[in-house]
Amino acid sequence: MAKHDHDHAKGSASDYVPGFFEIMEMAVGELLVEKQLIGAHEIRRQIEVLDSRTPALGAKVVAHAWVDPAFRARLLENGRAACEELGITFYDDTGLIVLENTDKVHNLVVCTLCSCYPRPVLGLPPDWYKLKPYRARAVTEPRAVLAEFGTIIPDDVEIRVSDSTAQVRFLVLPKRPAGTDGLSEEELAALVTRDAMIGVVPVEFHGDCRSSQ
Amino acid sequence: MTPRLDLLTRLPTDFGGLSAGRVERVEHELAPWEKRCHALADVLDFHKIINTEEKRRGVEALGAELIGKLSYYERWIVAFANILFEKSILTPDQLERKMDEVSTRFNSASAE
Repeated sequence: MAKHDHDHAKGSASDYVPGFFEIMEMAVGELLVEKQLIGAHEIRRQIEVLDSRTPALGAKVVAHAWVDPAFRARLLENGRAACEELGITFYDDTGLIVLENTDKVHNLVVCTLCSCYPRPVLGLPPDWYKLKPYRARAVTEPRAVLAEFGTIIPDDVEIRVSDSTAQVRFLVLPKRPAGTDGLSEEELAALVTRDAMIGVVPVEFHGDCRSSQ
Repeated sequence: MTPRLDLLTRLPTDFGGLSAGRVERVEHELAPWEKRCHALADVLDFHKIINTEEKRRGVEALGAELIGKLSYYERWIVAFANILFEKSILTPDQLERKMDEVSTRFNSASAE
């Protein structure tokens, strides 16, 4: 039994048989470690980094921008530097452009070529963001795509679609919903969803009685 | 442009502006190996072994048929293997032997 500890460390139950591509993934990783091109624990450590990134980070950035106009200005000037101010590290070489939604402009983020996404602040993208229908249609019929998310944008509001690249990622700063003047920064952050920061839905507030003034 | 000439100007992963079906809001929790594969991509990028652009081009180089038939992280790991062969970091023989070894390890574990 003890001689199989190594296998168990890989997360395999003894009756688990990995598929072809999983075997390929393990083999590539092990070969690179053997050749000392990557460290033995680097993949494990990076999984921990990936797990630490969730939309809660982006929500914190948005809520802070709503309550602090000077921060909002810095965030729109240099998204990455402003996020780093809040202690959010960027583990890659990507830049971040924050796009502000207003009464006149609604922003939507897509990656038509692949699946580029502001991972340091939102975590990994949902499947629909990586699949053909969203990537194909967001750039040519954004209103129809938004309607499929239940989001109807008035005709007098311009829709701007930003196409991500390997180097430049986008985050939407949604409009602060009406009726939230009495909420704390933490309560505001709790309203902000991942999809609102991609730009496919608005941030909504339904006047929870806890925060009634 | 005719469909044949369209192939000249559009990469197999370049979906922008094509017609496509309704957006279904699908998502799934990554399988452990998919998350490891994502972490591997990041580590390869950190060490400047394969960067994001090279990864994307590696996926494109699989061609439309394979891109359509493999899942997201299946495309990634196959692209990584091909790029590592191109860069003479790994050979196909080395990978095949290591895959046999990994496979044997699991088979002997499950045989107990």
